[in-house]
Amino acid sequence: MAWNYSEKTKQLFLDAVQGKPGSHLGEIADPDGIGEHGSIACGDALRFTFRVKRHASDALKDVIVEAKYLTFGCTSAIAASEALCAIIEAGNYTPIGALKIHNQDIVDFLEGLPEQKIHCSVMGAEALTAAVFNWAQKRGVDLKALGVDILPEETAEGRLVCKCFGLTEPYLKRKIKELGLRTISELTAATKAGGACMTCHHQPGGLQDLLNEVWGARPTLPPPGARGVAVSPTGLVEDFDLKRVPPKPGSEPLSPFQLMKKIEKTFEGYVRPMLQKDGGDIELIDIKDHTVYVRMAGACASCIGANQTIKLLVERTLKDLVDGQIKVIAV
Amino acid sequence: MKTIYADNNATTPIAPEVYEAMIPYLTSEFYNPSSMYERARGPAEAIGRARRTIADALGGVSPDEIIFTGCATESNNAALRGAAHANPARRHIITSMVEHPAVLEVCKAMQREGHDVDFLPVDERGMLDVADFVRALRPDTLIVSLMHGNNETGVLFPVEELARITKETDPGILFHTDATQTMGKLPIDLSGAFGHIDLLSFSGHKLHAPKGVGALFARRGAPVATFQIGGHQERGRRAGTENVAGIVAMAKACELSLGHMGDEVRLEAMRDRLERELVARIPHTRVNGGGAPRLPNTLNVSFHYIEGESILFQLDAAGICASSGSACTSGSLEPSHVLRAMHVPHTAAHGSIRFSFSRYNTEQEIETIIDKMPGVVAALRKISPYWDSERNVPREGPEIRAGGARAST
Repeated sequence: MAWNYSEKTKQLFLDAVQGKPGSHLGEIADPDGIGEHGSIACGDALRFTFRVKRHASDALKDVIVEAKYLTFGCTSAIAASEALCAIIEAGNYTPIGALKIHNQDIVDFLEGLPEQKIHCSVMGAEALTAAVFNWAQKRGVDLKALGVDILPEETAEGRLVCKCFGLTEPYLKRKIKELGLRTISELTAATKAGGACMTCHHQPGGLQDLLNEVWGARPTLPPPGARGVAVSPTGLVEDFDLKRVPPKPGSEPLSPFQLMKKIEKTFEGYVRPMLQKDGGDIELIDIKDHTVYVRMAGACASCIGANQTIKLLVERTLKDLVDGQIKVIAV
Repeated sequence: MKTIYADNNATTPIAPEVYEAMIPYLTSEFYNPSSMYERARGPAEAIGRARRTIADALGGVSPDEIIFTGCATESNNAALRGAAHANPARRHIITSMVEHPAVLEVCKAMQREGHDVDFLPVDERGMLDVADFVRALRPDTLIVSLMHGNNETGVLFPVEELARITKETDPGILFHTDATQTMGKLPIDLSGAFGHIDLLSFSGHKLHAPKGVGALFARRGAPVATFQIGGHQERGRRAGTENVAGIVAMAKACELSLGHMGDEVRLEAMRDRLERELVARIPHTRVNGGGAPRLPNTLNVSFHYIEGESILFQLDAAGICASSGSACTSGSLEPSHVLRAMHVPHTAAHGSIRFSFSRYNTEQEIETIIDKMPGVVAALRKISPYWDSERNVPREGPEIRAGGARAST
């Protein structure tokens, strides 16, 4: 579907890529706060930096005077980064005050975002939070003492719920509460959780359970140590198994083992030496019952008559020496 | 601003000759071809002529073997479902991981309903290993469905050879190919080199006919049950009043494409020039499917460390229409299943762009794209945290990690 971005979103993006004066593209050297969110595997990532005007005696009175970003992502991810920086610079925020900037403020600044792009605004708010945490560390501000609850390492600690995008239980629960997310589709739009393979939607301890836990419905999480069974009450069945490959030769239960061995032995003992004498070669690809798959190599590979050679020579030999029903197919 | 349309694997502009051929059947010749009066003879005969034209274009097969449908997706559904209905004893299907959703999703649905499906992997060039294919064949294999040309990368599967191997193994296994991207671009001789293929799907709108018409070639005797039931149209094999204008248009388009087969050489030269110039002018550019035999009109190219949707947006602003396999354009949150199956690294999968051309594209348009692309890529790399624009190399240092807030120190 064609873009349904607001004019504001499009303009901010184009200003950024064209490097218009006033855009916030870049990275502040030696910043007072730096925060990142996203990853290249997930398809978008943001590095956000800010500089403050330091207050002489009270770090809490530092004021953010400059903000910049580097973003890997789509049109709206870049526009949302630009919006974040513009909002911050316009507001004379202290870093603690900047924490009040919500992803919804970014959405409003952009005059709306398509629902499946809401995560772009969340990415901005998350990077900002991380940068404030970084500032607090550098300035020796005890955020906990101020009652500011930031858990920057929660992603490394918590149980992984969405494996595709590497999102943890503490992180997702916090976003569910902060953003008032009520359904799996809202959760996916805001955080990407469950947006790829979808297996975590209704697994025990999955997205529906997290939503239930936060909003008070009964969770179906099994007791610790219990083995979870993946269920899919919506009928959304798992994607096909990417690792699935056809069985290797020899594991085919319908090929009688002795026949196969005899074909192999004859092939190696008679057929190959026969062709090798003439500078050719032949590779045994598979044996299924009485069907033998071969690939010509060496001088035979480029020979126009290779097919005929196989039919007449190889098939005849195998028929004579092993079984009259044998059929040879060149691949 | 002039539009440069470089998304012909998505759909194509209608050829003027095709448009002309349709008009009578949208105006004076509106009659239902099934009606008995004399005036209805015109549309009925037009369908007959169209069927003959298409049968001829496919190597002189019998017109009875051409079934008109609404689109290639319908043809694929009809082939796979129809084969399964006709032969319930066989439960095994072979397809690939890179099929168009019109085959892939049907196979996944049939898997859920109890069929055993092998999704063959491809290598990093996008090619099948014939040995994998041979090993997958089973005594209970119902149908093999492998596409001729990949819509995203243009990579060609040797379906004529794979069909031969299938039929030599067991004539009871049906071989289906989705030829939507190759019809009209490459010669398909169903009486010759492609003579082992039982079922072949394509649509009109990929070869300069309008949307809403497709066809299924079903070789005489191939056991395929009727998929769409109703009236006696298409000899009872596909009920529903015929899209006469669409059918006439598709036949005209096939006829024209035969005359334009030579253009593919010019298209290939244009594509190759674009590919060469982009790779030469833009560092860290990767051609997806570059090592494989490909459709002459398709270039799938990835620019590392940037995201495809924001490339497309800038191209759109410059009047250039293309498409991307990035997550943001895929409708899901993951990049294209084709590029993932080819193990294209994440740094490149999100930054893929597909240019696909037709005979209406000009050398001048290619030059415009060549001129435009380096600036588009450089602007986004300047914004990307993974690129060092001063030195014009990927940025070193720890990668930004997945998920959640993280403070850098």
